[in-house]
Amino acid sequence: MAGILSGIRALEFGGHVSAPFCAKLLADYGADVIKVEPPAGGDEARRMGPFVGDDPHPDKSIPFLYLNTNKRGITLNPSTTAGAGLLAELLDEADVVVENFPPDEKPAPALEIESLTRTYPNLVVASITPFGQTGPYRNYAATDIVAVAMSGLMYHSGDSDREPLRNVLNQSFYVAGINAAVATAAALFQRMTTGRGQSIDVSTVECLASHLVQAVPYYSYMGAIKGRRPVRGSGFEELMPARDGYVIPSVQGSQPWATVADLIGVPELHDERFASGSGRIEYGEEIYDLLVKGLAEWDRKALHQASGERRLVFGMAQDAGDLHDCPHLRERDFFRSVNHPVAGEADYPGLGPKLSGMEYEVYRPAPLLGQHNREIYEDELGRSAGELAQLRALGAI
Amino acid sequence: MTLPLDGIRVVDLSRVFAMPYCGAYLADLGAEVIKVETHHNQFVDTTRTLNGPYPDNEPGELYWERAGTFHTLNHGKLSVTLDLRSADALDVLRQLVSVSDVVLENFTPRVMRRFGLDYPNLKAVKPDLIMVSNTGYGHSGPWTDFGAMATALEPTHGTGAFTGYLDVDGDGRTSPGTAPNKIANSYTDFLASWTAQLATLASLIHRARTGQGMWIDLAMYQVGTSFMGEGLLDFAFNGRRTRRIGNRHETRSPHGCYPCQGKDQWVVIAVRDDDDWQALCAGLEMPELAGDPRFTDPVERHGNQDELDAIISSWTSARSKYEVMKALQEVGAPAGPVLDGRDLWRDPHFRDRGYFEAVEHPPETELGRQEYVSRGWRMSGNDVRIGKPAPMLGEDNQWVLSGILGLSGTEIAELEAADAVGQRLAGAGTPSAVPLDRQVELGWTVDYDTDYRGRRSP
Repeated sequence: MAGILSGIRALEFGGHVSAPFCAKLLADYGADVIKVEPPAGGDEARRMGPFVGDDPHPDKSIPFLYLNTNKRGITLNPSTTAGAGLLAELLDEADVVVENFPPDEKPAPALEIESLTRTYPNLVVASITPFGQTGPYRNYAATDIVAVAMSGLMYHSGDSDREPLRNVLNQSFYVAGINAAVATAAALFQRMTTGRGQSIDVSTVECLASHLVQAVPYYSYMGAIKGRRPVRGSGFEELMPARDGYVIPSVQGSQPWATVADLIGVPELHDERFASGSGRIEYGEEIYDLLVKGLAEWDRKALHQASGERRLVFGMAQDAGDLHDCPHLRERDFFRSVNHPVAGEADYPGLGPKLSGMEYEVYRPAPLLGQHNREIYEDELGRSAGELAQLRALGAI
Repeated sequence: MTLPLDGIRVVDLSRVFAMPYCGAYLADLGAEVIKVETHHNQFVDTTRTLNGPYPDNEPGELYWERAGTFHTLNHGKLSVTLDLRSADALDVLRQLVSVSDVVLENFTPRVMRRFGLDYPNLKAVKPDLIMVSNTGYGHSGPWTDFGAMATALEPTHGTGAFTGYLDVDGDGRTSPGTAPNKIANSYTDFLASWTAQLATLASLIHRARTGQGMWIDLAMYQVGTSFMGEGLLDFAFNGRRTRRIGNRHETRSPHGCYPCQGKDQWVVIAVRDDDDWQALCAGLEMPELAGDPRFTDPVERHGNQDELDAIISSWTSARSKYEVMKALQEVGAPAGPVLDGRDLWRDPHFRDRGYFEAVEHPPETELGRQEYVSRGWRMSGNDVRIGKPAPMLGEDNQWVLSGILGLSGTEIAELEAADAVGQRLAGAGTPSAVPLDRQVELGWTVDYDTDYRGRRSP
């Protein structure tokens, strides 16, 4: 079964995480994505660790391998005359362009947003930057941690008696990538009736700031500044040590306090004073000590299982190995075995949701640099092998 | 002015954060989103009653119409109340689904089957229906019947393996952290919301081409794991299970969060390469650092980052976080203040881009004009914005029941008489808000401004 966005062609420019993740999602839903890399060195993600076997090889970057499945890859230098010609032909056939160049640093005039939308009125152009295409910070230098800090998310992450704590694994650029895919899909849907494309300006910090559905009204409604996790408290809804790792005991859901106290297994927890939310605030430190005592008798996974069976909603801290081997994810057929010619074979995480009308497949591993030059430039654009050699000599591909 | 989802009707049965927010975004895109709720307190969306915050921390008589988090999550929607314990109300809901395009819900699989509202049953009344079923663990697999909350799910799907402070020994030396931490802010809910939006829009494209509907079985645990791809592959290829390095970077330094002047004020600085390092030294006005043999190349800097961080901290501590940002960005070094809710609200960049969008609330709520976070993107061809405030409970009963479904006045009166439809929350007392001074004591609130209204940007 083909993906539900099959027949839609997207060109991806830029690199690193945000634009590639957006384009990966489009590809995972079935779009025909062509990743366009600079001939010299390719996507900078090829130089991002960790690497397979800790070998810093451009085809062994783990972020690159994950972010670029289901795409074809070509090289192109659009600032050369010959490259500009190829670019125009590629754009003629494209429905979507996803790019994450800095606002004032497009590699060729043809890739300016204005120029793209004017020349190709049916094209959807999604541009992802840390701060957006407008505003006083538009040209500021940013990495993931800078974006997380300036979105307001980081302030609320970590402990209140320590510095704010960064979110992990380039999360800001993943969140920007999926938001770009959402807006792109909306524009494609609209194009089915209007026939017209449009440009989309995605700001990474704004995507993350949209998570702040509590901290912002805290200020706008009552002038209060919401902080990080308090150091003191009952321990519920927080990471607490269990025998073999960390768990999150929870009182959420619709079960009575007695069910929670029963599960943890410390008799002193069966105390009317602890049964209400206000009681748990008032006697937080007393409860904390009892929780520590009770949880020390539990292993993470056994507690999580027992919680679920009692319709409680405890969580646990799982590491990458736990997830890779998780019986629930395996039963839901979440992983796909992918064999990459250089990096080798591994189980890759699949699509977040399961769709009744689409079988998720990884039918291509991440491309080698210029792997599909011949397929695209010869078979699709009709260049001869000799012309391809000439383009290579000119540095166009 | 047209919008992408003009003419699309969404039935939103969902509660709390993830799916209600998805519905609000679809409303901004032009869909008619009908929030189906109930006026019975034990089943009402808890963001109406438990989360606040209330204007000036005062719940007021109509407190369920006044919660800031609810209004952030539900803008742009209509509201109809239907108590699904009533067979007649359930029948009305089925009629509504039959004239709608999308259903959003986040009940447990068990509840949806019990009400006969699972996908096979709803597909029978609307064959090309697109339905998102959002649960903690999905509709299959050994954990399918487990309930879940984002705050407990977040480390369960692996964020805690990679989020955590460095450990510091007695001599101040750092090593990878043993304790996991959380991203917090109900992180997983938002991943689920963005994922649901994408799946719904892709399914609308598919339906327009093929006439076929879609059931989207969205497991928040699985969605969260799909954002941990780099970490999972590091295990699959290299056997590495975890990597907690606080605010540092595997290879780049300096890279961290540094104290600034004032209470709980911080700035982050992240050097990518030698050019950034040279720029940083210039910005710090410490040209001698650039030539310091301890810091000449990335490997040296990485090995000596405890010392480097101490030098940087002493410089940042004497300045405000915005001063640091300006001084370093001016020379091209990546740096940015850690913004709190107040900073974000007043920040000139967010304001310049019109990020906060204003709506006028109905007079009964006494909320007046309020501004809310909007979305991370703008479209050149559409004026996508928050079109109206979140609805009052049952505000659109008349339009939905009579206008859309054609129920007679008698039929509506019967539903009301059976207490299946209503507009006033029943079965609850006014919540008491925790005073802000007490919140500061408990650590929920860092500080507060009594003159916050005057501080609001125009």
